[in-house]
Amino acid sequence: MTNEAWAPYVPSVQMPWDLRRVVHLHRRAGFAATWKELQRDLKDGPGPSIDRLLDGKSRTDGMPKDFAATADYLVSSAAGDLGRLKAWWVYRMLFGSDPLGERLTLMWHNHFATSAAKVGPMVRRQNQIFREFARAPFGELLTRVVRDPALLLWLDAQANRKGKPNENLARELMELFTLGIGQYGEKDVKEAARALTGWTVVKDRLQEDPAQHDGGDKTILGRTGSWKGDDLLRFLLDHPATAERLAVRLCEWLMGEGAVAAGGIKALAAWLRRRNLEIGGAVETILRSKAFFSDANLGTRILGPVEYVVGAARALELFDPSPNTLILAEFCGNLGMDLFHPPNVGGWPGGRSWISTRSTIGRYNFASALLDGDSVGLPGAVDALGFARRHGRGDSVESIVIFFAELLLGAVPGRAWVERQLAALGPKEAVEPSRARRIAALVLASPETQLA
Amino acid sequence: MISRRTFLQSSALVSLVPTVPSFLAQTARAASPQQDSRVLVVIQLDGGNDGINTVVPFQDEGYAKYRKSLRLAPGDLIKINDRVGLHPALRATRRLLDSGRLAIVQGVGYPNPNRSHFESMAIWHTARLKPAKDNSGWLGHALDGAHAPADGSPDSALIGLGSPPQALRGERSLCAALAHLDDLVLSGAIDPRRAILPWPTAGDVKAFVSRSMLDAYTTAARLKDAASAKDAGVAYPATGLSDRLRLIARLLKAGFGTRVYYTVQAGYDTHYSQSPQHANLLDELGGALYAFLEDLKSAKLDERVLVLVFSEFGRRVAENGSLGTDHGTAGPVLLAGPRVKPGLVGETPSLLDLQEGDLKMGLDFRQVYATILDRWLGCSGAHVLGDHFELLPVL
Repeated sequence: MTNEAWAPYVPSVQMPWDLRRVVHLHRRAGFAATWKELQRDLKDGPGPSIDRLLDGKSRTDGMPKDFAATADYLVSSAAGDLGRLKAWWVYRMLFGSDPLGERLTLMWHNHFATSAAKVGPMVRRQNQIFREFARAPFGELLTRVVRDPALLLWLDAQANRKGKPNENLARELMELFTLGIGQYGEKDVKEAARALTGWTVVKDRLQEDPAQHDGGDKTILGRTGSWKGDDLLRFLLDHPATAERLAVRLCEWLMGEGAVAAGGIKALAAWLRRRNLEIGGAVETILRSKAFFSDANLGTRILGPVEYVVGAARALELFDPSPNTLILAEFCGNLGMDLFHPPNVGGWPGGRSWISTRSTIGRYNFASALLDGDSVGLPGAVDALGFARRHGRGDSVESIVIFFAELLLGAVPGRAWVERQLAALGPKEAVEPSRARRIAALVLASPETQLA
Repeated sequence: MISRRTFLQSSALVSLVPTVPSFLAQTARAASPQQDSRVLVVIQLDGGNDGINTVVPFQDEGYAKYRKSLRLAPGDLIKINDRVGLHPALRATRRLLDSGRLAIVQGVGYPNPNRSHFESMAIWHTARLKPAKDNSGWLGHALDGAHAPADGSPDSALIGLGSPPQALRGERSLCAALAHLDDLVLSGAIDPRRAILPWPTAGDVKAFVSRSMLDAYTTAARLKDAASAKDAGVAYPATGLSDRLRLIARLLKAGFGTRVYYTVQAGYDTHYSQSPQHANLLDELGGALYAFLEDLKSAKLDERVLVLVFSEFGRRVAENGSLGTDHGTAGPVLLAGPRVKPGLVGETPSLLDLQEGDLKMGLDFRQVYATILDRWLGCSGAHVLGDHFELLPVL
């Protein structure tokens, strides 16, 4: 990386490797970390901490020995039940060894937004493609996703036949999955649809039907020939706008609002083009960068519902027993991100749109429900006081407030903030379990915790 | 929970100054009585409604020529005149027509049509031909310049799941989003408003989150009153859109000062096997709209309400090979309510005089907006839209 924009982070007096940056790393690249994992990373420094996230080895707490078998059982027994498929995915996010991989899987779900409302449980195989190729060169991912039945049926590929083109797949492929709006013309869409004619789904597989393929010449993005679907994918992958769109996506997913200038996007796009659109490498570049750990990038990204819900359970170490993942998935849906059901092919708008009247009340109610335990499928209320005490805090109301702020935010957002929490909690000073739970819920639902 | 009015009157307001939600602060500046103020209800048909099969030019030779499989039999149509008829699924809408409560603006679009759902929707939402992601919406912008509702209600509300649309985004005006009244019931023993630390910097994301959450809690407190009010409206069909319109009616009956309500009916992106889907959607639309206006009529509120129905684009004139239609251009916009000048407005677009296979636009959508802004919401359309547009004779 030649551009200054993505120069590597080296801790300094101005940008120390402190708890705030450790929490930042985990909440951006994963779903929050436990107190022990945070302390470990604080001690080890950024290099090993980032290595562990990249290698899927960042988690040490609450890792079920039988994770793989349980996940396999959950997905196979879910069959066509979408509620259970969502629960399986939440289980993976909560207990899998690779939170970064799951975050990227979620990013691809949003990028290639396919809804089970139309294609049903086919989304399961698509989801496994997202996961398997999450860090791969984008061409490998794109090719597999576009040739998988879920996306084909979602965008009516089987209806796109010689002499009777249906533009749905061709248009979204260009507008949303690769080039982005403004990089192609209406003629390109029509010609691309012709190149894709004959792609159909037979017995759950893509089949190229030569009888339905329009073999004539097409001019796509200035190139003329008797192109087929795979030629089209090649052109789209070669186009500089695709690298730029991916750079925007990755920054949207990993960086805060306004933290990357246009030059940073261009530099990342140039890197992607030189490196065959290799996503894993681009993610590593971002996570190791000075820009990622800069003050302007701390606490400036609004957490999505899934990040919020799973992160809360991770940070509070609700592992054994754990909340019912069916219910957690339901909460995610209620907060605006119903897994496998994006609002449309453009995905979730994200960012500031996550915060609404409904979701504000919803997030607060989730925090209360999680700590109360019963309605999320825990056997009883969460022992927030015992939890704080296990980590050496909890001798006063104030120390509990500070503990949860450090756990979730990496630092208290100032003395005035602590005072306000104490005022909201009321005058009673006694430290008791129900009070500790309220503190945890209050900090979880605070505006500061919606940002990472 | 104290009522907002009590809250405003109480001296507590002074001591709470740093955390007074933005809209309370705003009303403290510009509270005005507006019991009778007019309300706009927007129904967004998501995905690109096939206008040709909604308001059907059945005598146009192009209709039979381009719509071989999707053609609706003239005998089944609800005739408006000897050339144009409504889709048969719009049965309930006929009653609005017959009672003079429906205006149909034909051939509405904009120059250089964009066939991307997202781009075209952004154009409609921002009323700018080159929209940017952070632009205010046309309604948000209009509400920025209006008095905030005196009762402390949000300026606008999205009714349904999802986030407020760009159309409602403003610099100062406040938009709430809810799908059910019980979405906004707080559980837990602590009032979280009191814990929120205001961020001094306006405009950055941290300030945005604090402000929005504070506003949300206050709106929730206000909406709680409506949840307890009893609802004795007319019967609605059992559909999602009906449920959302009924909730809007309920808020109106509860005396909410919100000026603009917004809801979305999705599913109009009919690339494949269009006929049954489209008929179901129009049936849902027509039934819900009729019940809503009847409900308001019996509550004597309908004179205050105008409904706008639009879609981001129409569909291609020629059907595609899969019994569906691809993205097109201009389409009809509906305006409903007892105060509209009923009937057809604008030329029926020709299905033979096309531009690259698509309808030519007749009227600019900003003419519709300008008319609503000037004649209904009582603000300057030219100011909001940044230009003068000829008003339409619909209000």
